[in-house]
Amino acid sequence: MSQKSAICGIGESQYYKRGESPHTEFQLACIAISAAAEDAGIALADIDGFVSYSDSRNGPTRLASALGIKNLRFAGTTWPGGGNSVAAAMQIADAAVRTGYAHNVVVFRAIAQGQFGRFGQAQSGSGGVLGGSFAYNGPYGLMTPAQQCALRTAAFMHTYSISQEALCDIALACYANAQHNPRALKYGQPLTREAYHASRWIVTPYHLYDCCPENDGAAACIVTTAERAQDRQTKPAFVTATAQGNGPGFGEYTPGDYQSSFYSAVAQNLWNYAGLKPADMDVVQFYENFTGAVLIAMAEMGFAPPEGIEEFVSGGALEGPAAKLPFNTSGGNLAEAYIHGFELINEAVRQIRGASTCQVASVEHALVVGGPGYAPGSALVLGASI
Amino acid sequence: MNRVLAERVLGEKWLLPQLDHLNHAFFTTRSLMLQQCDACGNIQHPPEDICRKCQGFSLGHFESAGMGTVASVVVNHHAIHPGMKDAVPFAIVLVSVNDAPGLLVVGNAVGVPPDEVRIGDPVRVIFEEAHDAKNDVRLIIPQWEVFR
Repeated sequence: MSQKSAICGIGESQYYKRGESPHTEFQLACIAISAAAEDAGIALADIDGFVSYSDSRNGPTRLASALGIKNLRFAGTTWPGGGNSVAAAMQIADAAVRTGYAHNVVVFRAIAQGQFGRFGQAQSGSGGVLGGSFAYNGPYGLMTPAQQCALRTAAFMHTYSISQEALCDIALACYANAQHNPRALKYGQPLTREAYHASRWIVTPYHLYDCCPENDGAAACIVTTAERAQDRQTKPAFVTATAQGNGPGFGEYTPGDYQSSFYSAVAQNLWNYAGLKPADMDVVQFYENFTGAVLIAMAEMGFAPPEGIEEFVSGGALEGPAAKLPFNTSGGNLAEAYIHGFELINEAVRQIRGASTCQVASVEHALVVGGPGYAPGSALVLGASI
Repeated sequence: MNRVLAERVLGEKWLLPQLDHLNHAFFTTRSLMLQQCDACGNIQHPPEDICRKCQGFSLGHFESAGMGTVASVVVNHHAIHPGMKDAVPFAIVLVSVNDAPGLLVVGNAVGVPPDEVRIGDPVRVIFEEAHDAKNDVRLIIPQWEVFR
């Protein structure tokens, strides 16, 4: 597979607070996909593949019928999880396009939690029973991603002597960058260090501002061959490398690796495939359902050793287009919108195009890292050149 | 003799584990029962249909002395479920079991206020007893008591 793929179109719905979307989740998906097709300069009818996350309620047959697709010939989803799948979904599309199974593959995520219920709430009724893997956690009240990531973060902070300020630095960077972005739900709502510390605890070490909100919206991109992308109206964002997976032992409770986000294996594969290293990244988008998970993943992706990660992120090192490491330049899950991390893909494409509201000078490579703390994790490098 | 708590940490109506072939011993014995491979002796948790070390299918149990060390702890403040409102704040711990090094067990910490539980604290197993009325089974659920 010498032929590369590229993202030739991006689109999204308006983003809403949870429950405030005037549209159904399926309508949101259609809005984002239509916008991406328009951006790419292709007819909806010429889309020939769909990829989304494992639990997508918006299936390919319904979409193909609704959008007038002429020839649906590829459909795939990632394995269960959530934001860990962001870049894994891109890997599936990349493989489909490079093998020639399809030419215009839509990768998308649509969520309307007002319509379908929330991720951050326990789903089971009181007095009920919890089976399978939930049996070992639920009876102890351990039921949400926030709690799971908090346990890993607490162990990580203890091992490497990391303070609460490092978590705060992640939240402050996302909020500061969102102040440039009118799409962001936190646009016009800057966050201060004082307000961060004054906010209530959700689950230690996470304050309210360490946790992303739950939102309604959809985002989509279109992946095609590099050759076709170069004929389109927009500047292509070439798929330089994708990786997914996890090291040994995820899902077991093992002391040595517990505080890991299991991104070391993803990092090794990604940098090998790309022939690049962390220092080659001009801008990064890290999935931040919770701030602490970013610190762990950033260390495991190789940006700094874990014992040095607090110093690495401190002093505004992640804030703004001229930051030491420009990070989550749209505001990310915390401050743009929680579209299960898909907004991070579209922001990475904008950075490659030179079209971000928080644009970094001369971007050659942009990194997207899927949700840490769940496996298989995934990561993506986009390039301005083939 | 392992002791039993006077009441469940998260309340008498809080969710119970659904017994299955893998977790039956863990949730029905007044001892910390961990899965052990009959062939190679590997102790593993959570239980699995296969030994993660030698891939054997013949799996029995190891009766732990139930002593451990807190490997991670968080204090849950936000009630993520209506049935949790009266239970917050409470501590969720991961316990490294002394006689089964290399694995962690989830539980709640009792014996000290939630915000005083620290990584490295010694803990010993203590049990909740509950009746699952829906399935008419008696459950014995491991928990962890901090002692210093």
